[in-house]
Amino acid sequence: MANVVAENLTRVFETKSKRLVALDNVSFEVQIGEVFGLLGPNGAGKTTLIRILTTLLLPTSGRALVGGFDVVKEAKKVRSIIGFSSSSERVGFDFVTARRNLWFFSQLYGTPTSEAKRRIEELATLLEFQDQLDRKLYTLTTGYRQRLNIARAFINDPQVVFFDEPTNGMDVFSAKKVRELFVKEAKTNSRTIFLATHNMFEAEEVCDRVAIIDRGRILAIDSPENLKSSLSKPVVLFETDIAGASIGDPTQLEGVVGGTIKVDNESEAAKIRVILRDEDYLERVLQLLEKRGIRVFNYQRIEPTLEDVFISLVGAGFAERERSVEA
Amino acid sequence: MLGRASLRGRGVLRRSLVIWVKAAVSRALIRVIAMYGDPLWIVVNVGGPMLTSLALAFLYRLAGLSNLTGFAILGGGMVAYWGNVLWSMASQLNWDKRSGMLYLYIASPAPLTALLIGMSLGGILGTLPSSVAVLVIGTLLFKPPFSPPTMTVALVFMLTLLALYGMGIALSSLYLILGRESEEINEALYEPISFLSGIYFPSIGRLSPLPLAVQAVASLIPLTLGMDALRRTLFYAEGLAELWPNIAALAAMAAASILIGLRTLSFIERRGRETGDILVAMK
Repeated sequence: MANVVAENLTRVFETKSKRLVALDNVSFEVQIGEVFGLLGPNGAGKTTLIRILTTLLLPTSGRALVGGFDVVKEAKKVRSIIGFSSSSERVGFDFVTARRNLWFFSQLYGTPTSEAKRRIEELATLLEFQDQLDRKLYTLTTGYRQRLNIARAFINDPQVVFFDEPTNGMDVFSAKKVRELFVKEAKTNSRTIFLATHNMFEAEEVCDRVAIIDRGRILAIDSPENLKSSLSKPVVLFETDIAGASIGDPTQLEGVVGGTIKVDNESEAAKIRVILRDEDYLERVLQLLEKRGIRVFNYQRIEPTLEDVFISLVGAGFAERERSVEA
Repeated sequence: MLGRASLRGRGVLRRSLVIWVKAAVSRALIRVIAMYGDPLWIVVNVGGPMLTSLALAFLYRLAGLSNLTGFAILGGGMVAYWGNVLWSMASQLNWDKRSGMLYLYIASPAPLTALLIGMSLGGILGTLPSSVAVLVIGTLLFKPPFSPPTMTVALVFMLTLLALYGMGIALSSLYLILGRESEEINEALYEPISFLSGIYFPSIGRLSPLPLAVQAVASLIPLTLGMDALRRTLFYAEGLAELWPNIAALAAMAAASILIGLRTLSFIERRGRETGDILVAMK
């Protein structure tokens, strides 16, 4: 059964001098008990979509239902069944303990105090910060504050929980705990977890399905495995000397559908990751690199990642796309 | 017999009421805890008004006006509320917006009005001990002559707070539209209003040293009318018969500012959903 439904959602931001289509005819459904990932570079429209689904922003056109309630007409009902957390917000009140902060947020949903106390203990145990509960917020480390932020999103026992870049800047251990919690809450407590991220590893690790979004449009929706296996084109990684950076845009190479270049200035090396039109172009790319005076130390065909799927769809990686959006 | 729709309607209403009350009470409690959790706040909010009020009481005494030392002590007791309204109340939603807390409030079923009322209640309760401390210590040190507090004093005090915090609610809504300028506006408002409202001296009435035109302007500030009424009832034993114009004006100001504040707030929230600009702190 669908817990989140979007039908032709469009959001346009207009100023006197500019018109920006942040979401363009977006449609999808997310089921109960599903961890759904919205994967795309910064500026792709992820936050706009989450804002609309959490009733913070009105769509320009289209319709969205959360838990069966219309996000425009029944905003209050939607608000009472959702949880929400973003890495960009303040966790709570600095001079108040973590426990009191969580209790405060539970009261905004009318949760009885006894129930709130039980949930605080339960969430603190799951995210392993029980010993931090009675400390004032300003004394907590960043990792614990971030875990508290995640716990806050579950405090009202929500049907659907929205996260916007939840593990951004989080330490590895905390991020692992958080990802485990997402899966557990979806599978054990039948919640829908809606996760906007640009972290490919996270999307692959926890999401049942992923929607790839770019410039306000959903380009593909499927399980991470299916998305990767749908990429029939070969992905090849060339390890070259620093001259490899001079290529700039890998699509300039003949037979390359898309790619990324990562430069390591310390070791004076470059990693050119490309998606080839087909296997036959491998030799030709090698010759082109040599012709340009680029020394290739090693090359190998590698398993595609979700970013490769993204590259195959838009021709550029997340970083390149973000740069072009900023420009 | 009640219909199913009517029962459902009652259930929804009851649930909304529970959320409203819980949101307001928890916000009030958090405000009080946060106030006293910050040692610097205690120093600034108890120590500051106490020292100013004692200094002014000494001046009154040195000038041979010992009977007026009560003005300074009363001012010390009330000034904390004024500071609280401006710095904690009016600026709060703007700070919440900038820190990203505001959209957590909006994304919850709790109405912003409940949170604002809770904030006011917490501000009043949290400021009460510091206000009482100044009044008790000042009274013990200077023994100013005053009439025993009556129901009129309680009424005027409560109406003054209501009008003052109503002003806080109105400013809080208006400040949501502003960015960092809200702090500059606070800075610009604090001293002139403290002066005009006559916290430590009578700025309106027969004892006022200010020209009539300035007194007329000062009378538009709820704190001025409240301080004037408190002084007249505490130190000159005036009752309802003499103070009714102040009481009526304070009640009208309280009602108007709360109404304006809450209306502005719902307008801003609605506009924010349309334009997205209420959530500027969000990525």
